[in-house]
Amino acid sequence: MGLALSVRGLVVKRDERIILDRVSLELEAGERAALVGPSGAGKTTLLRAIAGLEAPVCGEIELGGADQLRLPPHKRRVAMVFQEPRLLPHLTVADNAAFPLRVAGVRVAEQRKAASERLAEVGLAGFGERRTAGLSGGEQQRVALARALCAEPRLLLLDEPFTSLEPGLREELRRLIAELQRERGLTTLIVTHDRSEAAEMGESVALMLGGRIVQHSDPREMFERPASREVADFFGVSNRLRMPNASPTAVWAIRPEHVVVGEGPHQARVVESTYRGVSVRLVLDWDGQRVEADVETGRAAPAGSKVFFELPRDRLWEIPSDGTI
Amino acid sequence: MSERQRSLWAGTLLALVFAAPLAVLALQAFADSWRAPDALPADLGLRGFEVAFGRGGAKDALLNSLGIAIATTALCLVIGWPAARTLAGKGLAGRGWIMLLLALPLLMPPYLAGFGLTEWFIRLGIDGTLAGIVLSHVTFALPYAIIVLISGFGAELRRLEEMARASGATRIATLRWVTVPSLRPALAVAGMLAFLVSWSQYGTTLAIGAGRSTLPIVMLPFVRTDPQVAAALALLFLAPCVAALLAATRLGREAL
Repeated sequence: MGLALSVRGLVVKRDERIILDRVSLELEAGERAALVGPSGAGKTTLLRAIAGLEAPVCGEIELGGADQLRLPPHKRRVAMVFQEPRLLPHLTVADNAAFPLRVAGVRVAEQRKAASERLAEVGLAGFGERRTAGLSGGEQQRVALARALCAEPRLLLLDEPFTSLEPGLREELRRLIAELQRERGLTTLIVTHDRSEAAEMGESVALMLGGRIVQHSDPREMFERPASREVADFFGVSNRLRMPNASPTAVWAIRPEHVVVGEGPHQARVVESTYRGVSVRLVLDWDGQRVEADVETGRAAPAGSKVFFELPRDRLWEIPSDGTI
Repeated sequence: MSERQRSLWAGTLLALVFAAPLAVLALQAFADSWRAPDALPADLGLRGFEVAFGRGGAKDALLNSLGIAIATTALCLVIGWPAARTLAGKGLAGRGWIMLLLALPLLMPPYLAGFGLTEWFIRLGIDGTLAGIVLSHVTFALPYAIIVLISGFGAELRRLEEMARASGATRIATLRWVTVPSLRPALAVAGMLAFLVSWSQYGTTLAIGAGRSTLPIVMLPFVRTDPQVAAALALLFLAPCVAALLAATRLGREAL
């Protein structure tokens, strides 16, 4: 299949401030990747640069091997779904969905046919003649998705398409996007700031921090085998430990939910015990080292008590580090 | 009294305040003889319009006024469009100063501004020409047009234009399918304001025009000498204002 998207050494500046700092990213054809990171990391800018809405200082953007950098946005075979639906208020739902075909000069009959098919696929069959103003937020975003599909892009870019929606609707739209993407084998890059959404939506996950992509791998790897301390921090791998029988400079990481409390070779004092609904977060003092552990609500120990615990060997991961915790 | 009744009363009162002078004006225009103590005219007729179009030169004045107002409107929209687009953009240094400069002609008496412009127009050789009058009207109409157009060029329009570009639209297609339809209400209001500002210009036309007649210029002398002719001219003067208002409200509504 080969590479669908290849970004190399991309730099974008705004008012002399570096927004994208030599970003490189590769997507296989048909891959669904999530781009995750805190707000202000440059995720949206990267998407906009790929779509041609942002002019890079230098770097390369290739789509299926063809250079895109010098192409104006309308010549790139890319479709984008924005945070807001961005529907045209003076057009009907069907005309909004068919917008990419209209501007491409496709015949009206074909526009209609394509629009009604795409609208049916996003669950809006029969909505074609409506005005956009009466639609709910979720429906509007579905129209935006139908519009993106109508463009028949080689690459679909989704910029936090769920942020303006209620949690229930998000779940529904997530499943819809995953399903449509799989059916078409459409190469997709979806931006989110939510790490569990990234894990759910991305066959691969790229983490962006401060204008750079610091790790791009499969989601499990991100959550359990972070490549650096920053990655570990973002994905909630909060425990950073020295192990008794290992090198004194090695830093080990483990997710709080993987720490087994109740039995085990180590003993620690419970410093804090916080009820969190689905679990209890214990903060342990292990001979001066701070260990966070998430345990079932029934197995919680009160603050001040002593507990035994285990750090399962296969869950521990040595973070590449300069030796400091 | 209920809320509804009260607003009805207020509305009626307001309508009367505006309608009463209009009714008197209309009556006056058709009153061939109306002596002081009588409540209503003794004789109705078209003498007012006959004199206005005969000795008053209303036809030329009307055509001049229309031509000047239409040209002023077109110029204001053509100049105002890119200006408003730039002014609506964020991060423009000195934006407040530019707006103040724009508003400056509105802050001084029109005759004064017209007087100053005449000096320059004589040097440029366009004083007393229709083009000169149009240019002087643009000075007053442009600020209104720009201020209204700025409201059309918001962040929302930029977002929609970006969407269009990313959806495969060329610049021209974006203009045709996104920018113009979105701007239509603002364009309608800006055009109407520019037209009306030019239409009712008196002092500037007097200063620049060197005797060229427009409706306000032929109307004013009659106010003292022959109220019936003045009233007839005033009715003519009012017609395009009402038409422009109706057109603007319709255009503005269609786009929504």
